[in-house]
Amino acid sequence: MGFVDVSGVRHTLSDGRVLLEDVSFRVGDGVRAALVGENGAGKTTLLRIVAGDLDPEVGSVARSGGLGVMRQFIGSVRDDTTVQRLLVDLSPPAVRAAWDAVEAAELALMESDAEPAQMAYASALAQWGDAGGYDTEITWDTVTVAALGVPYERCKYRELSTLSGGEQKRLALEALLRGPDQVLLLDEPDNYLDVPGKRWLEDRLLETRKTVLFVSHDRELLARVADRVVTVEGGTAWVHGGGFASYPAARTARHERLAELRLRWDEEHERLVELVRTLQQQAKNSPAMASRYSAMQTRLAKFEAAGPPPDRPPEQKVAMRLRGGRTGVRAVMAEGLELTGLMRPFDLEVWYGDRVGVLGSNGAGKSHFLRLLAGSPVPHTGAWRLGARVVPGFFAQTHAHPEWQDRTPVDLLWHGEPGRPGVDRGRAMAALRRYGLAESGDQVFRTLSGGQQARFQILLLELSGATLLLLDEPTDNLDVLSAEALEEALASFDGTVLAVTHDRWFARSFDRFLVFGADGRVYESTEPVFEETRVQRAR
Amino acid sequence: MTLVASLVADPTVDRSVDDAVARLAEEFSDRVRPHLIVRVVRDCRRDLGGSPVGALPELVERLARIRLTEAVV
Repeated sequence: MGFVDVSGVRHTLSDGRVLLEDVSFRVGDGVRAALVGENGAGKTTLLRIVAGDLDPEVGSVARSGGLGVMRQFIGSVRDDTTVQRLLVDLSPPAVRAAWDAVEAAELALMESDAEPAQMAYASALAQWGDAGGYDTEITWDTVTVAALGVPYERCKYRELSTLSGGEQKRLALEALLRGPDQVLLLDEPDNYLDVPGKRWLEDRLLETRKTVLFVSHDRELLARVADRVVTVEGGTAWVHGGGFASYPAARTARHERLAELRLRWDEEHERLVELVRTLQQQAKNSPAMASRYSAMQTRLAKFEAAGPPPDRPPEQKVAMRLRGGRTGVRAVMAEGLELTGLMRPFDLEVWYGDRVGVLGSNGAGKSHFLRLLAGSPVPHTGAWRLGARVVPGFFAQTHAHPEWQDRTPVDLLWHGEPGRPGVDRGRAMAALRRYGLAESGDQVFRTLSGGQQARFQILLLELSGATLLLLDEPTDNLDVLSAEALEEALASFDGTVLAVTHDRWFARSFDRFLVFGADGRVYESTEPVFEETRVQRAR
Repeated sequence: MTLVASLVADPTVDRSVDDAVARLAEEFSDRVRPHLIVRVVRDCRRDLGGSPVGALPELVERLARIRLTEAVV
């Protein structure tokens, strides 16, 4: 049995701002609760408090059943961490401690074969056995076979950086779901997973009897898995006791209720102030009214001391204005096009106004195809061209702009680039404000969150006057609200859109689909196809 | 570390003594009497009681070797 009980938690940022205040919620045994909120609302901080990485300033967190935590960075590990180290780090504390003791004893034995070192090694092995280490190794074997298709002994020294993001995530998820911990905290478990991987994750989360608290921006995953939704907003958290389907209505109703309560409080406050004023005048003329005046003053003071009820949280305003413009009827034409070594030749015609979802296997060349259309040098054979007045605008995955890393959004907007004129600081700030980025205008790009970087890239597309949008996983780092703002902006965009996506919710807004198959075939479909498996590569 | 599945009684336990005695007897035959080798190995086996069964053969032989080496120096 596992549960998490968060009670009256408060957290203040280093600059003195209160990020979380009076946060209380419970995730009961076997519950699968989603933790949602806008980028920067405090989800990861709250998760770190629940995990015990941060101590709450006020309040407490109670847990039972052993806690397994999957951090957000798993999927993007680029250092020399091995498969074995990851599995050890995901194990319960007793197993981790026993492992470290064995490692230390082994190192000591390399230095000296003396009897004390040998006895210490034997003792560490006994401790490893007592902590359930040998059973854990058997579980690790099952985990690596399930996640990577190879036994533990063959992959334990392999560096995580040689695995794809999806493989890293899957390895960690298999370890946690098969491990002994009864409470799992998963920070964006679906990032880096392709659609079959996301479906696998959904099925595993639905069948597990463990208690799960997870952060995700994937609306399909939220809709299928979550049976509670914990929302971090307005500096606190509240719980919707149902699934994601009924969540938007519940959130709107809550906001309206908060606004109503606040309005009533303001009205009552105004009434009391007015009464005090009136009684003050009357008390001047009639000493008999003096005591009533005094009593009313006390009542007003108590009312104000109790304070107003929380106001409705400010809505994140994201107003994307992707305008576009009329182009030739044929926006993109390709004949016998083949990206060298990635696919078989294919023909394609995309018409002005089309919304084309580019789907298919990881590693099949989808991103390269978009990059080719954006004008980058990508080795290929066959012919392709853009139609009249078609101006491509490319949204790359966030790590694809090393030249931006040490520059600020205002600087990038001010200088402009070929095809996008620079704008003065006033106009830059106005544009950033519409994208909810005004406060980050002077922050360097690399310090922005994934969601902020993604919104900034969409702003650049807006300013570039593109009439053909080439979007590579645009919703990957966007919170739910920003993803919906992007969908609205694309719906009103006058032009053509090609987007690579694994976001099933987002894909529904497209008219037709270009599918890159695992066998190298590229074909069109009127329905989204997510079943293409990963392109096989040698292990 | 290798996969060692069980901590229950196993024929390996006795083999850990027999195998170590056989190998160490070959190694130390010119310097130590056979019954001393048996005694040292048994002592080692006793001192290592509680260690994981699968690891015993290696642990016993290694410890016995160092004790015998120290004894003959």
